[in-house]
Amino acid sequence: MPLMLPTILKNLFTGYATRLYPIQVREPFENARGQISFNEDKCTMCGLCALRCPSVAITVEKKQNKLTFYPFRCIVCEVCVHACPSDAIDLIFKWRPSSYDKPEEVYKSTRLEHLRETTDAAKDALATKEDK
Amino acid sequence: MEKLWPVEVSPRTKYLRTFWSELARVHSHLLWLGLLADAFGFESMFLQFWRIRERVLDLLEMTAGHRVIPSVNIVGGVRRDITPEQKKVIIETLEVIRKESDSLVKVVTNDYTVKARTVGVGVVTKEQAFALGCVGPVLRASGVSEDVRLTKYDAYVDLNYEPIVETGGDCYARTLVRARELFQSIDLQLEVLSKLPEGEIAVKVKGNPPANEAMMRMEAPRGELIYYAKGNGTRNLERMKIRTPTFANLPSLLVMLPGCQLADVPVIVLSIDPCICCMER
Repeated sequence: MPLMLPTILKNLFTGYATRLYPIQVREPFENARGQISFNEDKCTMCGLCALRCPSVAITVEKKQNKLTFYPFRCIVCEVCVHACPSDAIDLIFKWRPSSYDKPEEVYKSTRLEHLRETTDAAKDALATKEDK
Repeated sequence: MEKLWPVEVSPRTKYLRTFWSELARVHSHLLWLGLLADAFGFESMFLQFWRIRERVLDLLEMTAGHRVIPSVNIVGGVRRDITPEQKKVIIETLEVIRKESDSLVKVVTNDYTVKARTVGVGVVTKEQAFALGCVGPVLRASGVSEDVRLTKYDAYVDLNYEPIVETGGDCYARTLVRARELFQSIDLQLEVLSKLPEGEIAVKVKGNPPANEAMMRMEAPRGELIYYAKGNGTRNLERMKIRTPTFANLPSLLVMLPGCQLADVPVIVLSIDPCICCMER
């Protein structure tokens, strides 16, 4: 025990090793992997992220234009960020706040919607042209 | 995995990988030393070690992004790089870690309460350790000078590395090996950072894994880790096998446990640093 004494005495006169968390929040590091975010304007619902995800945190239903993300399954491994061909997934360094339940997030691709609308319009135009 | 194609990774990648693996070793050994103190009821020591470990985790988070599992490795390279500013912070923090753990390791290795619980407990002789296929610190504590880092993979080619060997074969020897490896690991990291070459951090690897097989041995904190992968030219691998060090070290309990005191069981089981979730595959 005498060998431990200097450490014990030092601890008496140094500050706390912990923080009062909800009041005092430490800024995360610049490089930290906090969470991922989806950009609905860029996503094309190709499903590559869902295919690559090791923890099955993303499911993509292209027909329904629906991407479901389960944030509490995500391990922020960055695989989807690199897999995405249209850069629709970003890495944010801010941590996700703790919560009581495990909600899932549903995204809808506006880009795909727009694409579908324009192709539908073009098809309509083509059909009316043929009718004439 | 690069051996499958095969692809040659850049020297900087090798050094960065070595750095992260050594940082993980420091973290793992600090965690283990804390758990050892906890196993025989030295709670305050446990918290002291884990406080130092927090610094290591901060370094990991700063450089790799995650606190425990860096997930920086990709086929062909690494995802993150170490900037000169980060390097400065790392070197400063490593010195602090060395200073802080030095005073605590002195307690672990000299204190009579620690010695009373570890010396002569769970003895594995050199022959037994070799016959039971022990790896890592368990093997080295029994007097066998073996370490996969001696095969000079990654950046270990250029580093001054000598395995740390103790001859006791008991829990105390295993503690000494891990405690000394802690400081050696910090030295290795400083050496890696001072020799860090310039260059690309990742090489582009194209296509699916070819029909080829590859095996890689590396020294994890707990001992020799083996990865085996077999590709067949398609997107999925045909076979992937990971042999974790705990799996190799577990048979040594057959020698250590019979005839011991019941109160020594936690210390003995802990002395091989078991990771059941790694082993159960």
